[in-house]
Amino acid sequence: MNEVTGAANLVAAKKKLSSKFFKKGITVAILSGMFYGLYSTFLMLGMSKGVWADWYGPNEAMLSAFVITYMVGALGSAINDTISGIWCMGIAAFKGKLGDFFRTLKTKPGRIMIMAALVGGPISSTAYVVALQMAGSIVIPITALCPAIGAILARILFKQKLTPRMMTGIAICFLASFMIGSTGLGGDAPAGLLLGILIAFIAAFGWGLEGCVAGYGTSMIDYEIGITIRQTTSGLANLLILVPIFAILAGGGFGLSTDLFIDAVTDASAMPWFIVSGFFAVFAYSLWYKGNSMCGAALGMACNGAYSFWGPFFLWLILGVVLGQDGWTIPPIAWVAAVVMVFGILMIAMNPLDLLKKKEA
Amino acid sequence: MKPLNYAILKHFTTVKEACADDVIEALKGEYGSFKALNKKAVIESIMTGEANGLLEETRYDMDDKGELRVYYRAHAEGAATINSYIKD
Repeated sequence: MNEVTGAANLVAAKKKLSSKFFKKGITVAILSGMFYGLYSTFLMLGMSKGVWADWYGPNEAMLSAFVITYMVGALGSAINDTISGIWCMGIAAFKGKLGDFFRTLKTKPGRIMIMAALVGGPISSTAYVVALQMAGSIVIPITALCPAIGAILARILFKQKLTPRMMTGIAICFLASFMIGSTGLGGDAPAGLLLGILIAFIAAFGWGLEGCVAGYGTSMIDYEIGITIRQTTSGLANLLILVPIFAILAGGGFGLSTDLFIDAVTDASAMPWFIVSGFFAVFAYSLWYKGNSMCGAALGMACNGAYSFWGPFFLWLILGVVLGQDGWTIPPIAWVAAVVMVFGILMIAMNPLDLLKKKEA
Repeated sequence: MKPLNYAILKHFTTVKEACADDVIEALKGEYGSFKALNKKAVIESIMTGEANGLLEETRYDMDDKGELRVYYRAHAEGAATINSYIKD
């Protein structure tokens, strides 16, 4: 009798361990999307204060349209990611992982993580900004294709599971993102629409590739070391390569990038918000990697993809409700889309028929 | 010296099977001062390896303290992947 009870306890304990790991993976992936929304909100807040308010507003600094469109956005990302990299180094040092960070950089998975960071950081982010400028807000739902691309790439590159049920779930999540993105669709589509849409696919492909490659890399690299590599690579590449390239293209030479950088980082009204956004970005990306490595790219990226809801949600909550700024109300369709998205995520995670079977039993 | 997570995965390419306690015991000489060399973190690291097809479960039982003990191994393909990414 005792042996039977012991065996039952053993099986129950094993089931509990597996289910705990699975639930933690989903929780981590969902939290990553929430932190993504928080980091975007505080980044937007920082980029509406001090010198940024002038650049995007009255423009007393007399910056050209090219500089405001491309370079200022890249500078915002560069400062956010660099500060985020500093946060990551501090957290890694506190947890005694700084030595492993430098050791990992010299290895093959470390180099792959750097490549993933370059693709997802400077390349995709710039493609996104450029696409947004060329084609308008129609590119937002296109970039929401990145979980589907990530899942397909993970199937090809890492032989991860991808069943028709999971593909259906991804399609439902995409539909939900499209519903949210469609609220921004309007008569803002300029002449470069087609090229802009094509460039948006580069962003979606880059983020999809980053998610599945870095997620797989996180099965070998500690996720806190992975994110330190990601943010320092992305921050430095943006700051030392991308922003100067834009400055040179704008005809202002390298000096323009240092001038704007100094103006931005010495602005006491904007910088505190960048410190906050950089902090949230640590968790937006580290939990994304961790979630993808714990539950596979298909489910991990779908849970993270809920950022297309969390972004507008935190913008409404923090900028609209708390700070009283106008124009951040969430349209009703976005709330409906959030429910649709939850259904899509459930569909990827499990067979809905299992729920019915459990009820019957 | 390798990063701790590499050493955990690499350990499975040198033994027939191992549980989290075995890994901690084997690595505590070199990594004893690492905060991340604890049972909870090592189990998570092993299960992440399993989720990504690097390791597979072999069996499980209860230890002397009545705690669940799960054993894993690196199958041929998993070991080959670990060895191709993580060199000695």
